[in-house]
Amino acid sequence: MPSSQRLTATLLPLTLLSWVVLLVSTLLRAGSPTTASLPVPPDWVTLVAQAVFAAGVFMYYRLQPDPLRGTDFVGLFRRLVLGPGILASICVALHLLERFVQYQLPSSDRTFFAVIYTINLGLFILFLASTAYTWRSLVLFRSSGRLRREWELFEILLGGTLLFQLSGWELPTPLSLLVIGGLAIFGVYLSGNQKWVAYLNRRQKWEVVFMQLAILLCMTIFVAYFVRVQYDPKLIAPEPQHAFLLLTVFFAAFYAVMGLFVTFSNLPTAGVFEQKREEILSLQRLTQLIQRGQTEEDVYSMLFDATVQTVEADAAWLDVEARDEAYKGQRYHITEEQCTAIRGLLADYNLGHIEYLNNDLPHSSGFRGLELPFGSLIVMPLRSAKRQYGALYMLKNQPQGFDRENLGILQTFTSQTILSIENLQLVAASIQNERVQEELKIASTVQESLIPKDLPIDNWFEISSHALAAKEVGGDFYDFLHLPGQRLAILIGDVSGKGITAAFHMAQMKGIFHALMQENPLARNEREKFPVPSKFMAMANKALIHCLEKSSFITASLYIIDYENRGFVFARAGHCHTLYYHSIKEEVSYFHTAGLGLGIIRHDSYEKHIKNQFYDYNPGDVMVIYTDGIVEARGTNKEEYGEERLQQMLERTYYLEADEIKNMILEDLAEFSRGQPMHDDQTLLVIKFRASQPEPTV
Amino acid sequence: MKITQQTTAHTLTLSLDGELDASSSVILDTELTKSEVLNHQKVLIDCQRLNYISSAGLGVFISHLQRFQDANVKLVFFNMQEKVHNVFEILGLDTLMTIVPSESEATAI
Repeated sequence: MPSSQRLTATLLPLTLLSWVVLLVSTLLRAGSPTTASLPVPPDWVTLVAQAVFAAGVFMYYRLQPDPLRGTDFVGLFRRLVLGPGILASICVALHLLERFVQYQLPSSDRTFFAVIYTINLGLFILFLASTAYTWRSLVLFRSSGRLRREWELFEILLGGTLLFQLSGWELPTPLSLLVIGGLAIFGVYLSGNQKWVAYLNRRQKWEVVFMQLAILLCMTIFVAYFVRVQYDPKLIAPEPQHAFLLLTVFFAAFYAVMGLFVTFSNLPTAGVFEQKREEILSLQRLTQLIQRGQTEEDVYSMLFDATVQTVEADAAWLDVEARDEAYKGQRYHITEEQCTAIRGLLADYNLGHIEYLNNDLPHSSGFRGLELPFGSLIVMPLRSAKRQYGALYMLKNQPQGFDRENLGILQTFTSQTILSIENLQLVAASIQNERVQEELKIASTVQESLIPKDLPIDNWFEISSHALAAKEVGGDFYDFLHLPGQRLAILIGDVSGKGITAAFHMAQMKGIFHALMQENPLARNEREKFPVPSKFMAMANKALIHCLEKSSFITASLYIIDYENRGFVFARAGHCHTLYYHSIKEEVSYFHTAGLGLGIIRHDSYEKHIKNQFYDYNPGDVMVIYTDGIVEARGTNKEEYGEERLQQMLERTYYLEADEIKNMILEDLAEFSRGQPMHDDQTLLVIKFRASQPEPTV
Repeated sequence: MKITQQTTAHTLTLSLDGELDASSSVILDTELTKSEVLNHQKVLIDCQRLNYISSAGLGVFISHLQRFQDANVKLVFFNMQEKVHNVFEILGLDTLMTIVPSESEATAI
């Protein structure tokens, strides 16, 4: 601040000048031969000069920036001891010099004595001012505004009293005692504010104690000097000057003694503070480490190391009840047999999984029986509201080794650990969930892309399709292929299992379908150009053996419809029966053919399990092809839609267009399973053979 | 799904109670995977209380079929409800697996 700088700039010369005046007036009063001719200045000149000097020095120190840097109390004391130490040494040296000179050249000349006295006076006031303002920064360390105002009041009162003392007016003794006593009580009250002591560790406290002693020693040296010279016959200073000095010393010593007392009485608690500090630090470390822990094992290991270190256990072990992980815990300075023995004993007393502290193991008969070297034990369970994660066991050799504090810190550690473990699990679960969601998305995209977008169009049949994927993708698929000679191949199927594997197998089936339904150039006759459905199934079964996992299978039906011959042939590999309306017989029925699903038996004998069914169709016939998602759809009472109800639906709708038949069936199905979740994919194809020949285009 | 076991000299009988779906088929698979299962001459599956079987459930039997045949252990189903039997039949499993109406017939095999 510029104003305080300006003030400092004027204070310094003024202070120096007042000291010079003091020196001169003292010399004149000493009445040395050289100055004998000059008049002796009156007392008030000396006293005013001293008052100005003291006030200047104190003001100067007051305007200096706070000597305390951060919480470096030891550094502050070092500087304080160094400064006054030098001052006191100079004082002692000057005094010894004076005594030496006096001894060597005894004379009644008081000039030298007066010079030494004035220098020492100056040094002492410097000393007092620097200590006083160091105390101030210590008292006001992290203080409230109220304390600051109280301190200022104290300064004003003290300054006033001291200067008043210098004026030489004497108050009546009881009054002056009252004033001094009041100030002293005020001082004691202010000195009680020693927050800084709590910031020191044990070693620093000892350092501070010694430095405070050193400061007191310096003060004593000065006081001893002034008390001595007070009775010196050569004393030339006015009486109030001494009274002023002694009162200042009284107050300066005050704080030093108080500080010393507080620091000293805080020494035993330093250990506790340090332990607390250590605990807080290690908790902080643990928290940071735990957050870095990638696996549950990492986190448990960190907990274990931190707790063993913090409670200074002689032996310890950790049991972790992991559901599927290999990590079961760890041990420290204890064998598995010993752990098992203690565990067994605790289980006998039903203490295995509760918080338990025993500081007197040698007096517990059960533990004596184990003949283990331990005296104290803590059991700390690791648990959250939801479940038990394990337990932590800490042992010490001597009895009374643990206290409630240890139990508290272990609680904090373990709950922090459990929190981290549960966080890790939550993160893992959400990643897993995300992966599953992603997989489902891919699977449904694949499935969608596998289902033909355009239905085959020709004038001799109409076809209508419906495909609805369940939330968790199932494995329904269907496909068409036009073959030469007005033939149409239709494949429908269902892959067991769900998700991306099912989608993958669907893609495979589609590939197999398109690969096998290629014209064979080596065929000797028309019939052999394309595989018949049973042959197709046998070949598909063979192809799937190598890539279908053991518990997976595929059901499928392949139909090859031949318009020119007005017939179709199909094979059913474990797939749902085909529902059919025979227009001639006016009858709806299922084709009950035998046929084993694909991937169930994985050798050549499969061919024996699959049959072809030939049928000559008539115009107006309706074929309904579907997957089990239709007939196994559940109603309100968990009953299935069933083949029978599907058959009844076709009996009621066979005369409609393929599209309308499909819609009627779907409406009925929706009615049946209203409010029920959809468990499986639903696929429905309706093919109606047209009655009339195509009209020639004009 | 509840699975109860009953062992006699050469026979292991597993009684299935409930619905055999994707999640419960894992339990059944664990039971059938145990090596001691193959120490028996016959493994009988009591399907009286089996109300539903999904493709995952079928997959469990299918995946153990070859293993049982190789170890010369007979797998016999009995007391099967009609709708469950229908599922076996549609898939063609009735031609591969032995399904008999009653327990006495199953033991007689």
